[in-house]
Amino acid sequence: MTCGQVRKRLSEYMDGELGVRPARALTGHLEACPSCGGRWRSLRTALEALAEAPRLEPREPIAARVLDRLEVESRGPGLALLFRPFWKTRPLIFPSLLPAAALLVVVLAAALALDRDAEPLPTVITRGAEWGPTGPSGTESNPLFLSSEVSAPRVRTAAPITADLMVALGEEPLFVETVVARDGSVSTVTLLDGDSQQAGPLLEALRRQRFEPGRRNGRPVAVSLYRLISRMEVRPPIT
Amino acid sequence: MAAGDIALRPAEALAGGASLERGLVEECCRGDAQAFARLVALHEGMVFNLAARLLGDAEEARDLAQEVFLQVYRTLGRFEGRSTLKTWIYRIVVNQCRNRRRWWRRRRKDRSRSLETLTRSEEERLAEGSGRMEGPDERVERRERARAVQSALQRLSFGHRAVLLLREVEGLSCEEIAAALALPEGTVKSRLSRARESLRRALTDGKEAAP
Ligand SMILES: [Zn+2]
Repeated sequence: MTCGQVRKRLSEYMDGELGVRPARALTGHLEACPSCGGRWRSLRTALEALAEAPRLEPREPIAARVLDRLEVESRGPGLALLFRPFWKTRPLIFPSLLPAAALLVVVLAAALALDRDAEPLPTVITRGAEWGPTGPSGTESNPLFLSSEVSAPRVRTAAPITADLMVALGEEPLFVETVVARDGSVSTVTLLDGDSQQAGPLLEALRRQRFEPGRRNGRPVAVSLYRLISRMEVRPPIT
Repeated sequence: MAAGDIALRPAEALAGGASLERGLVEECCRGDAQAFARLVALHEGMVFNLAARLLGDAEEARDLAQEVFLQVYRTLGRFEGRSTLKTWIYRIVVNQCRNRRRWWRRRRKDRSRSLETLTRSEEERLAEGSGRMEGPDERVERRERARAVQSALQRLSFGHRAVLLLREVEGLSCEEIAAALALPEGTVKSRLSRARESLRRALTDGKEAAP
């Protein structure tokens, strides 16, 4: 074994993935060759230092903040969304879609009845997003999330977001879900968190955006994008 | 290991963990907020540490951890149990960190905070808060080591950093990393080999070649 071969295989050697014979040859080389032996020791020291680095911990538990945000969504306009992933993708829990739809309506009605000042749902549903049976994944009614297999839609026509629109926003950021349809149009814009009255015109602007659709295996798919929008900055889609 | 040997895993432990996990996921899917809180509490330490190491910024990591769990909540219905829940969460963390970094580079070049400073204070807090009895010298040394590791990590590419953290800190096998990153196992192994060497170099000649 040459030094070059040895160095290339140190990682496998470390993981015990070399066969018995190559491993023995490598051990022999490390004992005999000071240069490779030094390399091996410094590699181990480096990885030990990494493994021993203290685990960073959040100053306060994250669970409480996440639940707070879900609470906002379930009380507010995001209610429908909160239910959507479950009854749409888990038919076992809702064996028939009819009761599921009925349940949704009841919950919505109850929420509206409790709060007389409740605003209309700010969800802008244009098409293809009916509360019906789930389509195959990658269609508008069952969009995919970005991943290494799903490419991100690219903006073709930017949202006509004017300075006025941004100024109209309050201090609180908006958390918005956008579904980019297979033809590159925006099929749904849902306000997940934020003041729906102030957000209205902005949501409408987002709906007019046009995209080069996201793709999976080269074929256009509907993709769900999450965005945080605040007066200061527009964050990229969060997947 | 001789060719043909099969590595046996502690099957019982795996099965028990998996069925517990499935139960928890099902409770979450039924809308049980407490079950979801348990799920978050179980994984938040891992999510935060991984995100902070990947991003090099504790504050961003805290934000990101929230987004990760919101995504987990919204997409839990699609979790099919082909991988473990943890592997699935690793994948979401790495994806979100990668996206966030891309965005940083485009938007916040000029007004980005020093990534190291925040993490450094975090490191110090931890080093000081550790309950172990140790002398001041030892503490300084430990802190220096932790700092050197963090700064070496930040000099690696994102892909190298992700593989290294999953392997050396989270203790995943190459097979699990392949599942979490949606990469072929062979790619993970060669990337891991290069990442280890990059870290070694960053830590050994890091003193001369400061960032
Ligand atoms: Zn040699």
